[in-house]
Amino acid sequence: MKIAIGCDHIVTDIKDKIRDWLKSEGNEVFDCGTYDNVRTHYPIFGQKVGEKVANQDVDFGIVLCGTGVGITNAAQKVAGTRVALVSDVYSAKKAREDYNCNVIGFGGRIIGIGLIQDMISTFLKTEFNSTPENLERVSRINGLLEESSHKDFQVELQKWENNEYND
Amino acid sequence: MLYIACDDKSIELFDFISNYLKLENIEYFLVARGGDTLDISQKVVDLILESPQVNRGIIIDENTIGPFLLGAKHSKIICAPTHEEHTSLMTRDHNNANLIVLGSKIVGQGVAMNIVDRFVKHHYAGGRHQIRIDMLNSMGRTI
Repeated sequence: MKIAIGCDHIVTDIKDKIRDWLKSEGNEVFDCGTYDNVRTHYPIFGQKVGEKVANQDVDFGIVLCGTGVGITNAAQKVAGTRVALVSDVYSAKKAREDYNCNVIGFGGRIIGIGLIQDMISTFLKTEFNSTPENLERVSRINGLLEESSHKDFQVELQKWENNEYND
Repeated sequence: MLYIACDDKSIELFDFISNYLKLENIEYFLVARGGDTLDISQKVVDLILESPQVNRGIIIDENTIGPFLLGAKHSKIICAPTHEEHTSLMTRDHNNANLIVLGSKIVGQGVAMNIVDRFVKHHYAGGRHQIRIDMLNSMGRTI
């Protein structure tokens, strides 16, 4: 299976562990970064994974940040993605069965690696249950955003360089 | 305004939460008490978008997946599926989330109450976090 994975600088070590585990299971993994712990911004990596999935370069995407909220919101704002932020196996299964989700997300500071692996395994092996009701749900979500352009975030990054985002 | 809604299958948890908000004297507007999860979610999202910096929403359905898919596709909606208390706190503090979703098949009343309490009482930190929010707001469905 082809899988894209991305994270922010808070949970890079967990992303690396998941990437290595997925590779050891025989998957082809595209590591979209970030690659270290230098402060960066989760929308960059959520968008990268989302675009890989939407362009069908990969079968599925996986995203992580501290809570998972920021990076899953970024990935979901790309046309063609259906993202689920989950913290239990039941939800990982329902995301595939009912909504044909193609990206799964986690809070790396919320849950541990054992549960994450269990949820990923469940997500990857669960088939979409293509009832008329579920097909209608998926089409309704897809219809909300039929096209999206790639954002380079130059305006925001320039403001960051100019120290306009101070704590 | 705080907009709240639930689907057909989450009435019990919804009644518990709306009662808690009443006891805490937190003003809210009841958008739907029952209905299809995507229908009620769209109603709440449309109301939040009338003033997304100020308005907030709480949606309860079975497992949070549908409301998140619908809500987070929109620009200026930052949606947090909240299954425990820490996410509720951090997503206000760091993400300035304006919509949380609770799963009636995932959380019990005690945890749900704490999640809602943190969501309505905590403030956004701003500062360095705002670049990520500006980035998110440049993405997604615009009307």
